[in-house]
Amino acid sequence: MKQIIIILSIIFSCSASFAQDKDIATASFKVEGNCNMCKKRIEDAAYIKGVKRADWNKDSHQLTLIYKPSKTSPDAVLKSVAHAGHSSEKTAASDADYNKLPECCHYKTNTCEH
Amino acid sequence: MISKLNKLLFSGLLVIVCTAANAQQLRAVHGIVSGQREKGNAETLAGAMVTTVDNTVSTQTDAEGRFKLDIQETSLKIIVSYVGFLSDTIDLHPGENHLTINLEQSRKLKEVVVKQRRKSTEMSMIDPIKSEKIGQRELLKAACCNLSESFETTPSVDVAFTDAVTGYKQIQMLGLAGPYTLITRENIPDTRGLAAITGLTYTPGSFIEGMQLSKGTGSVVNGYESVAGQINVEWKKPFEEKDEKWLFNLYQSTQGRTEGNLVYRHKFSEKLSSNLFLHAKSQWAKVDMNNDGFMDQPLDKQFVGANRWFWFGPKGWEIQGGVKGTYVENTGGQLDYERGGEQVSGKPWGYEQNTQRAEGWAKIGKMFQGTKGTSIGLQLSGIYHNQDALYGSRSYLATQRTFYSNLIFQTIIHNTNHVIKTGLSNVVDDYNERLSGTPYARTEIVPGAFAEYAYSASDKFNLVAGIRGDYHNIYGAFATPRLHLRYAPFKKTVFRASVGRAQRTANIFAENLGYMASNRGFLITAANPGNPYGLAPEIAWNYGINFTQKFQLNYRDGAFSADYYYTDFRNQVVVDVEDPHSVRFYNLSGVSFASSLHAQLDYEIIHRLDLRLAYRWYDVRTTYDMQLKERPLIAAHRAFGNVGYETKNHWKFDYTIQWVGSKRVPAVHAHGGGIEAEGYSPSFVQMNAQISKTFKEVFEIYLGGENLTNYMQHDPVIGTSNPYDTGFDASMIWGPVMGRNIYAGLRYKIF
Repeated sequence: MKQIIIILSIIFSCSASFAQDKDIATASFKVEGNCNMCKKRIEDAAYIKGVKRADWNKDSHQLTLIYKPSKTSPDAVLKSVAHAGHSSEKTAASDADYNKLPECCHYKTNTCEH
Repeated sequence: MISKLNKLLFSGLLVIVCTAANAQQLRAVHGIVSGQREKGNAETLAGAMVTTVDNTVSTQTDAEGRFKLDIQETSLKIIVSYVGFLSDTIDLHPGENHLTINLEQSRKLKEVVVKQRRKSTEMSMIDPIKSEKIGQRELLKAACCNLSESFETTPSVDVAFTDAVTGYKQIQMLGLAGPYTLITRENIPDTRGLAAITGLTYTPGSFIEGMQLSKGTGSVVNGYESVAGQINVEWKKPFEEKDEKWLFNLYQSTQGRTEGNLVYRHKFSEKLSSNLFLHAKSQWAKVDMNNDGFMDQPLDKQFVGANRWFWFGPKGWEIQGGVKGTYVENTGGQLDYERGGEQVSGKPWGYEQNTQRAEGWAKIGKMFQGTKGTSIGLQLSGIYHNQDALYGSRSYLATQRTFYSNLIFQTIIHNTNHVIKTGLSNVVDDYNERLSGTPYARTEIVPGAFAEYAYSASDKFNLVAGIRGDYHNIYGAFATPRLHLRYAPFKKTVFRASVGRAQRTANIFAENLGYMASNRGFLITAANPGNPYGLAPEIAWNYGINFTQKFQLNYRDGAFSADYYYTDFRNQVVVDVEDPHSVRFYNLSGVSFASSLHAQLDYEIIHRLDLRLAYRWYDVRTTYDMQLKERPLIAAHRAFGNVGYETKNHWKFDYTIQWVGSKRVPAVHAHGGGIEAEGYSPSFVQMNAQISKTFKEVFEIYLGGENLTNYMQHDPVIGTSNPYDTGFDASMIWGPVMGRNIYAGLRYKIF
């Protein structure tokens, strides 16, 4: 019984390793933003076709991407993120896009409490 | 042989599984986190978050501020954060594996408002008691309406009609009827006693912020009654700045139900805030979708109003209190029944119920700032409930007065790894009931004392052990021990176990209102004169184990959970409906148990598309007249599937399908006269779906359908030709009595 439980646990905890295939890459970029509202916006924008997972860390401002290099590139993702108003180390958001952000998410001038 | 095979399989799997892990070199980093207050010295911070930059590995500091983190050799930075302090990013230099981190206090404690998309139902990994947290999003999956309906998308809870006349639905957990589950409003017992079944409709969904549902034995702090589990309902709070100031909700169904809700909050100052809750509902159309001459649900008018206040004082004082009033008027039965009509043979058969309920509650608490983790709280609640009903010529008049008080003292021993809760409670229940002219009155006074110890030294193991002793003015003294264990061998794997005793007085009439919609005689075998109804108290032990495994598959998160609970009744008030002429109540003689197995898979298939699959199995048996039989009208098997999808532009789609297995139906009167032998109901499939769209986060419209397959139990009312004859029975309900229902509504928020 104990062994079965252990086996089951291992299967589940490591199932991620099985699912990995060749066409997968991980990359991390600094993306400007403030808060959890920004987080939602950045991640929503990052989920373009070919992106498997996008996590933005509010504290480190790092956006970690897991994506399929055959279908998309970090540049394309960061472009989409910039279009949502968030500059990154590679692509700057246009003033027009930046100004569309809600007041509190104006990361250049404000600190946001949301 | 088998064990050899096991070992072989086990080692084989280990090899496969761990090759992936071995490829990455891990490095153990440990350290201590302290914080520098503006005034005063640095202190170690317990519970500070330590994460890698990519957020793949994280931990919390222990009570002494220490942490240990296994990170990949390639990680170069970690982030340390703690509420009220500025987060710090620490560079990891090679070879430097011990870190001393000092955080600076942020100038002002910033309120963190989480606006991330959250799972609608989350399963806690850290609590020793497994609880499903049902959030706003889950509640909104069923657009309506009240507590009993809000469980229709929750696989842990079964919802079924009590009868074909009153329209009430009863919940079931672990195969046990609703009254075996303790329902609390912000941890104060709420729908006890007379309101055990009807009370679920007194809390409209719009009032609710969230719920926590936990199966099995509960905490001794909340009393000795919960047998099957606890459902705690949190109302919307007035002081949450992120919440809307006003919420309006309107609902209209094709079955002639109109509902409106208003929730208002006002913050007078940082200290004082208040909520106002209003609800009005009316079923104004007579609906008879099964063409049996009986309304599928009664006409009704329902009003609920509540007002509550919060006051956060200086020196750790906090006071909150509220009042709530509920008024319900139901009229049902045959289509041409008029309210107040004479109920004799030849005249239409009617159902009427008038309910008035008034509640008041208060919580007074103080946190002692000098001594860390020490607080004292007093909970008070008073209830007056009056419920007068007519089921044809049967009348049931009942009044309940309850006063509840619970004093809780909490402190820590040395550090927060050892938490002690202890206190005193007193419950006074006064019931006056009159069934068809026969009075039943009782007063129960139960003072008690309790102590609970919670141990949580590491992330891996916790324990909550509690005991309470109560003295019941009729039954005498009794002890209630309860124990919860949690063991997490891996970060994403949790095993829990619980065992505990429960005792309660069965309110035999209020808990079996459904059987009043029949001409069955209510017969009580009063073996214990002097006791309520002449019956012994119900005593049960509940044993449970559960397992939760979170996983990531194809880079998407998921969770698998399974639980098994066994409830063993030492005494039960048996409700025996094996004879179609009566409902008999007697003390259990023999065994009675409920086994429940539940397995559930939650997985986000693609971003924003959530899938939930669940299956549950019950084996519930009771000894009826020396014969161990399956408890009637309970489905042994149920399968459940739910898919939810949310688009980027705020469209939400929800679809629920469930398959309910067959249920044992005792011998009943046949439609043509005579008796139909005991048998099994057919299994059936039910579907619900809902679409909603939110505009600019303030305005939302929804459209949905319930029972889309339009599956109904055929002829749920037996003996419709002469409802005053012995053959009349509307209580043998195993399936939906209402057909397809389409509804639409809106929610409007003002911030």
